[in-house]
Amino acid sequence: MRQVSLFRAVLVFLSFLITGTLLLAIGSFFMVPSWSVVWENLQSPELLFSLRLSLWTGALSTVLVMLFALPVGYTLSRFDFPFKGCVKAIVDLPVAFPELVLGLCLLLCFGQSFLGKWLQSMGIHVVFTQTGIVVAQFFTALPYAIRIMKSTYDYINPRLEFVSRSLGYSLFETYVNVTLPLAKSGIMAATVIAFARCIGTFGTVLILAGGSAGKTDTLPITLYLNISYGNMGMALTCGIILTIVSFLAIFVFEKAEAGL
Amino acid sequence: MSFLEVRQLSIRLGAFFLDDVSLSLGRDEYLAVIGPTGAGKTILLECIIGFYLPDAGSIFLEDRDITHDRPEDRRIGIVYQDYALLPNLNVFANIAYGLKKQLRDKAEVEQKVLEMAESLHISHILTRHPETLSGGEQQRVALARSLVVEPKLLLMDEPLSALDPRTRREIRTLLRTIIARTHTSIIHITHDLDDAWALADKVAFFSGGRLQQMGTLEDIFHRPATSQIADFVGVSRFSGKVVDSDDNGSVIRVDELILHSVDPAPIGSNVYVALRPEAVRVYRREPRLCEGGTTLSCKLTGMETECNMHHLVFQTGETQIPVLMTTNALTKLEPHVDDMFFVQLDGEAVRLCREI
Repeated sequence: MRQVSLFRAVLVFLSFLITGTLLLAIGSFFMVPSWSVVWENLQSPELLFSLRLSLWTGALSTVLVMLFALPVGYTLSRFDFPFKGCVKAIVDLPVAFPELVLGLCLLLCFGQSFLGKWLQSMGIHVVFTQTGIVVAQFFTALPYAIRIMKSTYDYINPRLEFVSRSLGYSLFETYVNVTLPLAKSGIMAATVIAFARCIGTFGTVLILAGGSAGKTDTLPITLYLNISYGNMGMALTCGIILTIVSFLAIFVFEKAEAGL
Repeated sequence: MSFLEVRQLSIRLGAFFLDDVSLSLGRDEYLAVIGPTGAGKTILLECIIGFYLPDAGSIFLEDRDITHDRPEDRRIGIVYQDYALLPNLNVFANIAYGLKKQLRDKAEVEQKVLEMAESLHISHILTRHPETLSGGEQQRVALARSLVVEPKLLLMDEPLSALDPRTRREIRTLLRTIIARTHTSIIHITHDLDDAWALADKVAFFSGGRLQQMGTLEDIFHRPATSQIADFVGVSRFSGKVVDSDDNGSVIRVDELILHSVDPAPIGSNVYVALRPEAVRVYRREPRLCEGGTTLSCKLTGMETECNMHHLVFQTGETQIPVLMTTNALTKLEPHVDDMFFVQLDGEAVRLCREI
């Protein structure tokens, strides 16, 4: 007779309990609204503006994030240098930071500090602008992408790079010829997660770029503003779009992770 | 100056280190590096190839100091135990990888790859990817990739250890043939002493980050300098005193035994006697006395079988004499524990060594 372990039964029950609760919470988006209202909202200029703004800022931020995550992740994975631990901790810090605190830090940095003043003198305005959205998204998503890329590089056998160098290729050529092709799945995963984080960033964007309707209102901000107005239909429509983006991101991430 | 010269090399990488290592290698020479795990053997290779910069010391290749040269500028190849084939490239592309950096002409690259594949018997797998290959095939591809660029020196880090015994023998034969053809100098780390017996001109023994002994096969396997090396290479060591000596050899007293050795030594000196267990002959009946040898009456006290070889232990007085025998020899002898036998040691089997 098959023995039933109480411990195992409790673990499985807890897993189902939490999954069911999450599913119910996510499913509420799709159960509560009237679909005709959702369809109507999807065509509203306000939502289309937010969607377009979220997509292009998210895409631009993701490109910038990956441009930094690829080399920084490689550096942290492969090289030892003084204060490496500090660099790693500081790069990781935004993961643990509340978004609002990160937003406040960026607001002070780009508004009050010498860097902000210098950028303003160069004609680059970050605070309460769409540029600010990109900056906020960039700093929010960057640590996640760096973490994924570092894990990806850690997983690649350094001996493959050693052999490449012994066969006459420089460090950079080896990175391009050997490391990057082998990091393909990790790059895909980091890109998708970075894009999802950029699209979903709320607190940092709200503080640094403001929540001006028709100017800096990305999807999460439109969702927040419409809840404030009591326009639940629009808020739910934004929520559905963000949920779909997250689902797609996790799906692609899982696929990429399986390929690692 | 030698082809390769390592001078007073020291490096510490976490728990692994090398301490004041100096060695030299001649052109076309084959050096087997042996020693226990964690002895610093792999770090030595990775310093020579340039993956790590030593804390102290220098490395000269063809009279040129290459200590600070980049790995890509040294023309030193490496083959790892796990082969390190690029998984995203097929066999052809793996072999051609280094050549493409050297040659612009695609036809020339292809010709050289095909020639190397032919000599290593892997022409039929050129379109396959590494994960579809057997260990032996992967090893040949890794060798082809390293040799096709004609390195000045080839480093091999336990290249045969993941292969089954039959494939290992095949690759050894292939390696001998191709090295004789390409005239490549080689440093080969191995745990398998058969690799050293079959391939090496010189052997270096490392332990605790230091080079403990380096010499010919004869030096290491017949005259190990320390008891640690003796244990590692399977030699029995006894301490004794030289009681007689001339140009033809010496007579040594070991406890109550009198042994004859072909090695001369000063009379009265304390020496270590090294005895290779496979060089001992065992008889049921007392054999004719061999010139310059020793015959002892012994009792068989233990027998163990390992890899089709049989380890027997004989006792005479307080001294134990280990003997290694093939199955064929054992079958003829029909030994049983506690039986009495005659053990004969000729002068060639008894060698003298010094403790360092």
